[in-house]
Amino acid sequence: MRVAYFSPLPPEQTGIADYSALLLPALRERVDVTVVGRGRKKAPRGTDIALYHVGNNPDAHAWIVDALRRRPGVVVLHDFVLHHLVSGMTLGRGDADGYLDAMEREHGVVGRLLAHGVIDKRIPPLWESRPEDFPLASFVLGDATGVIVHSRHVRDRVRGAGFRGPVRVVPHPAWPVPEITPERVADGVVVGCFGIVNASKRIPELLRAVANVRESHPEVTLLLVGPASPGFDLERRLQRLGLADEGIAREGWIDETRLWALMAGSDVLVNLRHPTMGETSGSVIRALSLGKPLVVSDVGWFAELPPEAALKVPPDVDEAATLTAALDLLVAREDVRAAMGNAARAVARREHDLQRVADLYAAALEDAAGGGAVDDAVLREVSEAAAGVGIAAGTAEAREIARRLAEVELG
Amino acid sequence: MCRPQVPFARGGAEILADTLVDELRARGHEADLVSVPFKWYPGARVLTQAFLWRMLDLEEADGRPVDLVVGTKFQSYLVRHRDKRVWLVHQFRQAYELDRTELGQFGESSEERALRRKVQTLDRVALGEATRLFAISQNVADRLERTTGLEAEYLPPPPQELDYRCTGYGEFVLSVNRLDRAKRIDLLVEATALDPALEVVIAGDGPDRPRLEQLARERGLDGRIRFAGRVSEGELADLYARCLAVYYAPVDEDYGMVPLEAFLSEKPVLTTADAGGPLEFVADGRTGLVVAPEASEIARAAGWLREHREEAASYGRAGKELASEVTWDRAIARLLA
Repeated sequence: MRVAYFSPLPPEQTGIADYSALLLPALRERVDVTVVGRGRKKAPRGTDIALYHVGNNPDAHAWIVDALRRRPGVVVLHDFVLHHLVSGMTLGRGDADGYLDAMEREHGVVGRLLAHGVIDKRIPPLWESRPEDFPLASFVLGDATGVIVHSRHVRDRVRGAGFRGPVRVVPHPAWPVPEITPERVADGVVVGCFGIVNASKRIPELLRAVANVRESHPEVTLLLVGPASPGFDLERRLQRLGLADEGIAREGWIDETRLWALMAGSDVLVNLRHPTMGETSGSVIRALSLGKPLVVSDVGWFAELPPEAALKVPPDVDEAATLTAALDLLVAREDVRAAMGNAARAVARREHDLQRVADLYAAALEDAAGGGAVDDAVLREVSEAAAGVGIAAGTAEAREIARRLAEVELG
Repeated sequence: MCRPQVPFARGGAEILADTLVDELRARGHEADLVSVPFKWYPGARVLTQAFLWRMLDLEEADGRPVDLVVGTKFQSYLVRHRDKRVWLVHQFRQAYELDRTELGQFGESSEERALRRKVQTLDRVALGEATRLFAISQNVADRLERTTGLEAEYLPPPPQELDYRCTGYGEFVLSVNRLDRAKRIDLLVEATALDPALEVVIAGDGPDRPRLEQLARERGLDGRIRFAGRVSEGELADLYARCLAVYYAPVDEDYGMVPLEAFLSEKPVLTTADAGGPLEFVADGRTGLVVAPEASEIARAAGWLREHREEAASYGRAGKELASEVTWDRAIARLLA
């Protein structure tokens, strides 16, 4: 089977480019893959099925969605919320009607009115203020013959958006752990947090929780790695909580090798967010591979992590208190950290094994390429047999047959 | 007790299901067998035939609730029930490890590739519904875990009830198996050609029989190989009782009752390192011999047993100890727990 593969790839610096670089060699062992060069909008001649990696960043993915428009295929939905991508591909190209239509298609007249408000600059851009309420995934689902997602959460949202084709949950593959020397930033327990520093990563709540934990465990250090979002005044917050001089280690953007080393040198890793755009986290996958106990938000994909490997914090009014309790437990109990770390490693091996992920991709692609013909054959035979004994379409018996077929994903 | 059946054919899976029904009844349970013909070709028939199981209503019978159902091998475990247990004999192997081998079924067209995936989807859904999932061997459980991510408990079924006994260690090596290519009885025929002192009795019948008989004729083995065909239970027990050793070397077999039957007759088992399930019981130099899947190795091993009858007997006795642990009492207690 020949697969045309549309994705950002290194040297582009996106999580999805890294993802594809990891996946491609394993996928090539199973199917005949042609990587389509950036900007090309047609699959090569002889392609059986095209695979499109879609994320929310228009710079990285607009050309891929353009190609999808020309030839339907399997869409890998890395984010469910695609508002930024859609606005980039419509308003960003001077196509106001396209944006209005996309909003109306998914959110009716109210959506269209809001879109007018955005275009007329009467309300702030929705992709910045409320993207999670207006995901606009239908913008790509309409051309998908099948969808690959990384979580049950996104699968359910895809179904909720009315997509009726095959949807497969394929876990994010785990990177092999490189040969690294762990880099310790402090002597006591190090709580690491990696990624953009801003409010949606729940950094204010994390800082409060760490300050609380340090009252009873002053040996705890928070390692905060990643650039701060513009407008997020980290320094002021640290000072207010008494974390400016001690209890914090700060790094901005770091390279991959250092990232692994600092993660390996942490005792607990925290990865919070709210709202979620339906994304997975490369940091969490790395933490699992390294066998680190995790604290995550109880949302989206993160909520699906096994409880033995990750403590989950709901993003509610008690968030900082719950987070404090979780960190208190992990800081105080080395045995719990060790048990959760072992569970994390087992999850990485079991769920995120690269070969397994590549097998699931091959299955999804083969299913998408020939599954329609198989479904037709099954339905033809079953309906002929039913008609042969007088079961007509629309009867209770026919509905039961349809229900049974759906249960086992036939037809 | 749900089992599919290829009409006119009967093998280990059929014996297992039938015996389980008898054993359940012997323990005071009401048990019955439900069977649908197993058909796996052409094209999508492998799916539509499986779908027949899905349309059965086994929740109750004549107004009385059915407490639980047990599925065994592919197609039967698609059955619906609130307490569906599965004692997995095997999945549809052509959709898995036999794919793209000479024993495979699905071609390279998009439709056939997708058909294979649909079989896998059926497995994932239907086996995922089971309230308890057992596998007849660790080999079957491992395969299931690899292909669907589902975990099954290992529950070996006891062998059929026969008048097992040992009346000595005679001159012949016994093969008990259905005669089809995957059972690799041709290796034993070729081994017989290499060792002029080797005598063989081949019990069983199947589609590979004409080819095997032809091979024996070509190698001039008349008189040293006897094709006994399908034998009665009495004859089988007698062959087990008298043979030197039992040959059993299919390719990556799911389980195989034959080694346990051989052990209950105190006979060592000669198998190959790639036989799969049998290796859970046959240990080289303890309960039998495990060699490379080559005729010369099998000939050499059979010759060694002939010349070391004391060791052959001690392997057989060690095997009997193992096989005596595998009882219906234990199996049923776990299955119904």
